[in-house]
Amino acid sequence: MDERVLLVEDDSSIRTVVTMGLRDAGMRVTAAGTGREGLDHARGAAFDAVLLDVMLPEVDGMEVLRALRRDSRVPVVMLTARSDTVDVVVALELGADDYVTKPFQMAELVARLRAVMRRATASRDGDVVTVGPVEVDPDAFQARRDGEEIALTATEFRLLHELASHPGQALTREQLLERVWGYDYLGDSRLVDVAVQRLRSKIEADPARPELIQTVRGVGYRCAGARR
Amino acid sequence: VTEPRARIRPGRIRRRLTVAFVLVGGLSTGALALGSYLLVRHSRLQDSSRTALAQSTLNVRVAERTLRGRPGDVRTLITRYAARGDFVTVVERSGRIPPGRLAIPHDLRALVDAGRIGYERETAAGTPYVVVGEPVPNTGTALYFFYDESRLWSDLHQLETVLAGAWAVLAALSALVGVVLARRLLAPVAAAGAAARSLAEGMLDTRLPQSGADEFGAWAASFNEMADALQGKIAALTEAQARERRFTADVAHELRTPLTALVAEAELLQAHAGRMPGDVADVAGLVSHDVGRLRRLVDDLLEISRLEAGAESVRAERVDAGDLVAALVAARGWNGAVTVAGAAPPLVTDRRRLERILANLIGNALEHGGGRARVRLGGDGRDALVTVADDGPGIPEAFRAHLFDRFSKADPSRTSAGSGLGLAIARENAVLLGGAIAVESAPGAGATFTLRLPVTTSLPAGADAVTAVMDH
Repeated sequence: MDERVLLVEDDSSIRTVVTMGLRDAGMRVTAAGTGREGLDHARGAAFDAVLLDVMLPEVDGMEVLRALRRDSRVPVVMLTARSDTVDVVVALELGADDYVTKPFQMAELVARLRAVMRRATASRDGDVVTVGPVEVDPDAFQARRDGEEIALTATEFRLLHELASHPGQALTREQLLERVWGYDYLGDSRLVDVAVQRLRSKIEADPARPELIQTVRGVGYRCAGARR
Repeated sequence: VTEPRARIRPGRIRRRLTVAFVLVGGLSTGALALGSYLLVRHSRLQDSSRTALAQSTLNVRVAERTLRGRPGDVRTLITRYAARGDFVTVVERSGRIPPGRLAIPHDLRALVDAGRIGYERETAAGTPYVVVGEPVPNTGTALYFFYDESRLWSDLHQLETVLAGAWAVLAALSALVGVVLARRLLAPVAAAGAAARSLAEGMLDTRLPQSGADEFGAWAASFNEMADALQGKIAALTEAQARERRFTADVAHELRTPLTALVAEAELLQAHAGRMPGDVADVAGLVSHDVGRLRRLVDDLLEISRLEAGAESVRAERVDAGDLVAALVAARGWNGAVTVAGAAPPLVTDRRRLERILANLIGNALEHGGGRARVRLGGDGRDALVTVADDGPGIPEAFRAHLFDRFSKADPSRTSAGSGLGLAIARENAVLLGGAIAVESAPGAGATFTLRLPVTTSLPAGADAVTAVMDH
């Protein structure tokens, strides 16, 4: 295994014990106590995932996330104090892949981390599928428009691939949570909604009037048209 | 509240006041009109009789003179009378009256036959007359004079009409004045009623307009004082409650950070328990168990304080309650202890909140209801119903009212595995989803909780909004 995880958490007890827990789970952990320190680490070495506390002194978690997302698609899991504040939605909109609410069980945290890393790395053989002008290439783990790569996070890519593989078919939020995020029946459907929004902003000509990824009211989402 | 109000009939006092006005106005003007009419009639009739009698006496004197020499010359007499023209004469000679259209009243004739003078009123051929009868002395003749009283009676009729009309107008006027006055008088009462109702409905800044220095002005002033006091008191209470809730929320929130560390530490301890000496490993197990309890308590405290602060939002989507119950029962390992029957209509609601409610109800039934629970899904045509029944000892009557309060326990000395917030959270969530939870219980016969949820919910429009009509 030996996944490399960057943990950014200001509370030293939590930092220490989470570090130990993740090491127990077979991960290599680099721990940082401030946002600045975390960013320095992130720039200095490659990580398979980042575990990022929202509330940090000096540079807060959102700022760190924003800075990370400027040049990296590394999977990010946020540690939040509350699941239903705007924090979660803001973090997801900024490109976080998932969040875990404090207090969490180590087992749950490990499972979430593994899930985001699996999304980012698992090689998926398959045909290239297209959505309008967008090509989704699972081998290269890339989406392209006119040969140009579109910068997608791992989650966004998986979501696009899942939708594009079922053209014209409406997929429910639960189905998407299960197939893309790997969650059971109680996943947070905001994950899907926010990811779809981000995806639209990257691939749609007019994200306010989406044509490629359509909302099916009361059901979920659907990729337009048939395979071309 | 509805029961006594059904007996109250607003408008009664107004009607009573109006009726009183009409009675007083109508009766007094009526009595006045009737009295004056009777007075006028009496004097007019008296006048007329007096004039007729005087004229008749004169007539008889003329007759005496005319008939003294020639007792048969009635014709001359009649001609002389006719010259006067305002009465008709009927002559009775030796007890015989010529047949004619004017009949002599019997009473009068008897009087005159007895040698006396008399008069009587009678109507003949549609014309009212006053008839004066007088014997002509020493001639064996009696004379009856018919004086036409049409004019008098038509005057009286006219007066009658005028008075009746005037009375009707006055009665109507007093009714109108009564209505207007009653309305005016009672308007402040109605305003006070409306104000009291809106106060009761929670519009605490409702006040009465304080116009005028009369009794109603004073009343409005004291009403407003009461409203001020009420508003002040409720504001103070609300603030105290908000402070208390904030404190709860703050405490729970502050507990989170150390609790997060504790949870992870306990888990680590537990994971490494195999490398510890036996009794230390036992303690590690206890720590893990108690940290779990603490975590549930803090989670529940945070949830209830958010719910009570109204900070929660609903994310509605299509939910199949049956699937949800099956999934949660399986996820919690309750398969052997919980039976599920029936089917609920498809719901549009918040999946996580519904899961929370049902998990709490079933968990409660398992803990207090003898380890088994029966879940039944259904609907009553309007709402979806989920009942959770157990065969436990039941819930004492006195405790049922506080069942959904925070930290309520039937037996305060009993420690429970739950936080004591489960039912409170379930109820708050149910209310948030537009539903309600009711409980029925008989001592010794278990308890049945019924969750009632509306099947169609209007949702805010938006990308993830769901309308009542589904695609499939």
